[in-house]
Amino acid sequence: MRRLCHAYLGLVLAFLYLPILVMVVMAFNRSALYELPFTFDLVWFKALAGNQRLLAASWNSVWIAACNAVIATFLGTLAAIAFARYTFRGKQLMQLLLFPPITIPWLIIGTSMLIFFFWTGIGRGLHAILLGHVALSLPYVIVVVGARLQSFGPTLEEAAATLGATPVQTFLRVTLPMIAPGVVTAALFAFAVSFDQFVISYFLAPPGTSTLPVEIYTAIRKGFTPEINAVSSIIIVISMGLMLAVARNYRFGGE
Amino acid sequence: MSRVDVDRVSKRYGQVVALDEITITFADGEFFGLLGPSGSGKTTLLRAIAGFVVPDQGTIAFDGEQVESVPVHRRDIGMVFQNYALFPHLTVADNIGFGLDVRHIARSERDRRLDELLALVRLSGFGTRKPRELSGGQQQRVALARALATRPRVLLLDEPLGALDRRLRQEMQVELRDIQRETGVTTIFVAHDQEEALTLSDRIAIINEGRLVQVGAPVEIYERPLSLFAAQFLGDANVLRGTVVDRSTLRLADGTLILSTLPAAPIAIVRPEKIAVLPAGTPAPGNLLSGEVVQAVYSGASITYRIRVATLGDEPLLAFVQASSGDVLKPGAPVLARWSPEQTVPLPG
Amino acid sequence: MAAPPRQRLEIIALTAPAYLWLTATVFLPLMAMAYFSFLTTVPVGGRTASFTLAHYVSFFTKPVYWFNAWRSIELGIYVTAISLIVGYPAALALSRHVRGRWREAIFLLIILPFWSNALVRTFSWTMVLREPLNLLFTYPAIVIGLVHAYLPYAILTSYISLQAIDESLIEASRSLGATAPQTFLRVILPLSMPGVLAAIFLIFVPVIGSFMEPRILGGKDAIMLGPIIEGQFTAAFNWPLGAALSFMMLAIVLVILALAAPLLKRQLGSI
Repeated sequence: MRRLCHAYLGLVLAFLYLPILVMVVMAFNRSALYELPFTFDLVWFKALAGNQRLLAASWNSVWIAACNAVIATFLGTLAAIAFARYTFRGKQLMQLLLFPPITIPWLIIGTSMLIFFFWTGIGRGLHAILLGHVALSLPYVIVVVGARLQSFGPTLEEAAATLGATPVQTFLRVTLPMIAPGVVTAALFAFAVSFDQFVISYFLAPPGTSTLPVEIYTAIRKGFTPEINAVSSIIIVISMGLMLAVARNYRFGGE
Repeated sequence: MSRVDVDRVSKRYGQVVALDEITITFADGEFFGLLGPSGSGKTTLLRAIAGFVVPDQGTIAFDGEQVESVPVHRRDIGMVFQNYALFPHLTVADNIGFGLDVRHIARSERDRRLDELLALVRLSGFGTRKPRELSGGQQQRVALARALATRPRVLLLDEPLGALDRRLRQEMQVELRDIQRETGVTTIFVAHDQEEALTLSDRIAIINEGRLVQVGAPVEIYERPLSLFAAQFLGDANVLRGTVVDRSTLRLADGTLILSTLPAAPIAIVRPEKIAVLPAGTPAPGNLLSGEVVQAVYSGASITYRIRVATLGDEPLLAFVQASSGDVLKPGAPVLARWSPEQTVPLPG
Repeated sequence: MAAPPRQRLEIIALTAPAYLWLTATVFLPLMAMAYFSFLTTVPVGGRTASFTLAHYVSFFTKPVYWFNAWRSIELGIYVTAISLIVGYPAALALSRHVRGRWREAIFLLIILPFWSNALVRTFSWTMVLREPLNLLFTYPAIVIGLVHAYLPYAILTSYISLQAIDESLIEASRSLGATAPQTFLRVILPLSMPGVLAAIFLIFVPVIGSFMEPRILGGKDAIMLGPIIEGQFTAAFNWPLGAALSFMMLAIVLVILALAAPLLKRQLGSI
């Protein structure tokens, strides 16, 4: 039985990683139509370096993801503290309101943002994309930091108060160091969510400027260029690397 | 070192009354124990004095100065939590020095005080360790040192020894008492059990369902409980119910007369250790009840007898006897339970 | 229980920034879209718009809409079912037949693709499905791509609820004489239902709303509600219609959830 299970898991993993591996391998293949036989070549990666559109889009993606990480982590941490350390009427309702951004199909969220931003004059653009990404990242940040806060309860902060620490001192000397691993995890998460985000960016991107996923999508729709393969491979490696860091951090950052 | 006056403090949570007009004065320098069943409100009272609970009514004052509206961090208290609440990210030294650091005490003064405290709790040299490297008993001492570092007006202990095993707990009880005597700080603690309350406290308060049942020195409450609850909560009690015949006599259902030196009341108790167990038929003065041994538990230094006495109904009479001769009466043996009138405790309440 | 005034201020200060942001970017936009769905046209460039129910009506009258809404639901059912059929046994295998560090490692390996870039993963399938499989731009391709995307979700939630089952319950079942299959059917499966239900909820909804995977893997023939809605916003500029269709999609999701709610409550209540 055990061997059967291991074999089955192996199959599942093979299914999950097959296309990715194929893509990464083909990125190093000289053939433009990625036919076999396989000849190792870095030509497409070099072509990437010259592709201005892709480079600009990459830079936008990174920049937005970084801003998103900072803003979402900051706002989300504050809210997480409120949920973990206070009881108040309406808390459950507010926590419930965190579900829509992640449970409503992004198609609907993206198009409604498009409508609203258009109507209110915010319009499309990188700033609009940032607005959308933060909204999507907030629930994750609140959950991650919230879990960290739950893990050590309010007793430590009470102890600090009995020792004479003002609320600000308590926050800086006790709360912040204790939640630091959770905050870092949340920031990495938020960065990844933004960097990989496609749907919202797609609707909010103005003609001419976009993020990397949107750029890749348009390129795919127009027809296949092997550079897409190369940049996709890079993204997948970064993406997975980020998540690996999150997972490590989450487990070893806590006690 | 402060006197703490709690005056008619009440607190309710929705329908539940946590504290009901509690009034106690904790004298300066006293070691005071709060005792009561779980949910009785003793922890709520402690937290009200600390400032985590804001009373709905009543006042709390330290040395006459009212503190109900003073936030926790300005009350100048020291508190030891049930799970110690040591900061895991700080060393032992930084934990103990925390109260001094937030007051920005000068480095030299801080270090000096730190050495003093580490010596006081017998943990000199442990300064650089982290809490997770310490045993339960050591963590407890760090928590105590930390609470004492700022020379607080009041020291509050929330079942501080609850997490320790029995032997360690008894050791720590002695240490705790010694440290308190040395520092002289007014200490209020929630006791883990009655034994702890009895051995450590100068005075005890028994609290039940948010209400104060009785306050007094351990001997006082034990020997002269004012209510059945107090009598049964602190120690074991044999309950005698009947009708009052005259100033010093209680008549039981079957006519047996019980004598007391204090004014009689419909309910009286007698403590098990005051009862002597004699073979039936032995002539003896004082209060006598005849019955039959139901159970005899031998514990080396003492024997616990449960004796069925017809007039007391189903509940057997409990007697603790010194095993001076090593002879243990067997179940079924007819006996006489005897105690002197001074030991009958009528309950006024 | 109401918080004391000073605390109330602190709570507001802590939660306001995040929730104002969410209001401005999620809740208000949804309301704006609701409003738009009743307009005849986009009010810009001098055009005036009037109130109409025409868009909603057309959902029910024009087959291209309600038929493809059904196609989306059908897709959701296929993907959810396949993900669970493949994923639940994997979760079972992982939780009961893999020990020690391997378990964590494999779990991480399964989750990793899920949290990486969805677009790129979908794109990677175009490589595999071209030759010699020649499956690209067909309906099965869409299903494969979506299953690939959401399978980890099914494994994740199933695994979590399987892990939560106390080992002593299984031991008790065995001690009472139940065989392994019986223990599975009578103890393990029922107790892991919350995980299965969570998977259904978390997979079904996004699949109904997907447009990127259908477009990339199904090509121009991928006509489903998702791509249709997307088309209203990018190609046709008929935002009111797109808005109305979006809300119909939302309504479909809510109806399905409402139907499932008693089932959910029963399962969750039995824990």
